[in-house]
Amino acid sequence: MNRILLQLAGLFSALSLSAFGGGKVVLPSMHQAAVGEYGWMTSQQFVDLFSISMAAPGPSMMVVTLVGLKACMPYGTAAAILGALVATLAMFVPSSVLVYFAGNWWDHWKESPWRHAVMDAIMPISTGLILAATWIIAKTSIHSVPTAILGVVALLLMLFTKINPVLMMAGAGAISWMFLR
Amino acid sequence: MKPSMPELAWLFIFIGLTSFGGGISAYIRRLVVTQKRWLTDEEFLPGLGLVQLLPGANVAGLAVYIGNHLKGPLGSAVALFCLFVPPFVTTCALGFLYFHAGHTADASAVLMGVTAAACGLMASMVFEAGGKSIKGAFDIILIVLTFALVRFAHLHVPIVILIVAPLALWWHRPRRSEENPPKDSPAP
Repeated sequence: MNRILLQLAGLFSALSLSAFGGGKVVLPSMHQAAVGEYGWMTSQQFVDLFSISMAAPGPSMMVVTLVGLKACMPYGTAAAILGALVATLAMFVPSSVLVYFAGNWWDHWKESPWRHAVMDAIMPISTGLILAATWIIAKTSIHSVPTAILGVVALLLMLFTKINPVLMMAGAGAISWMFLR
Repeated sequence: MKPSMPELAWLFIFIGLTSFGGGISAYIRRLVVTQKRWLTDEEFLPGLGLVQLLPGANVAGLAVYIGNHLKGPLGSAVALFCLFVPPFVTTCALGFLYFHAGHTADASAVLMGVTAAACGLMASMVFEAGGKSIKGAFDIILIVLTFALVRFAHLHVPIVILIVAPLALWWHRPRRSEENPPKDSPAP
């Protein structure tokens, strides 16, 4: 139990400080650790939890809360909540502390040409990481013609309309319930 | 016009409960700058640039930046705390629900649709991020290299960043001699 809490704290604080471009870029590592290295859950469960966190209120990376919850669930309800808390704090506190202190000297290099250079350098890396994350989600979630159609329609809706993503996901869930049960 | 601490706390509770999926930065700007007028764009946008540059969830970084700007260190802590507590409770509740009832036929059918749609949502983020990041052929190489290191070499994200970031920084280094001499780059 204590070992798992330490693993959660170590994993998510490392990922917190590597999440250049937002939390979703570290999803591949989270998947690899939770499903592969530590065996806390199956790949299907991970993708389910990720989707639930996307559809639930709050910052999009609340999937870390659910990973912590599941990792400690074998030890009981209280342990599961403690695991969720440790994972959430580990993911969001280190990067927030960094923002707090960086904000104080941000003005000093605001004019530096390196600011744009760093931004331009980070963007393609983030894109590659988001692509890898999408690949992992797709491998588990797209497993038939109907799910492929749902996924592509969702993609087109997100790219070409202003539809609210939660509404879109709720609609997909309803369609799936009606026709794919 | 600066808010009181309870007003700040309430705003971030509201944001935590009403923000879903992506696009939260634009949503926060609308609330804090356009509606409440607690910050001007000149104050808000540098903060947005900062959190986009630094690692971590952008929305958490914005809470810290805005909280600090309006109410100092305590404001940062209050904003971050209020942003996370309500979603934490609902997320845990959904997690327990999933592990106790998620295997029923009804729940599996709903989840099948939701995960497929979440996959489409993620794919749309690839297009959006790609559109902003591809400024030349080398950027495509960087994207493919990053993807391959994660997908085929199974390296962890921090390692991948340590490998690709120096290459990307070298390529995107400021070329023309600017008036200001380049200062140290922030640690990537």
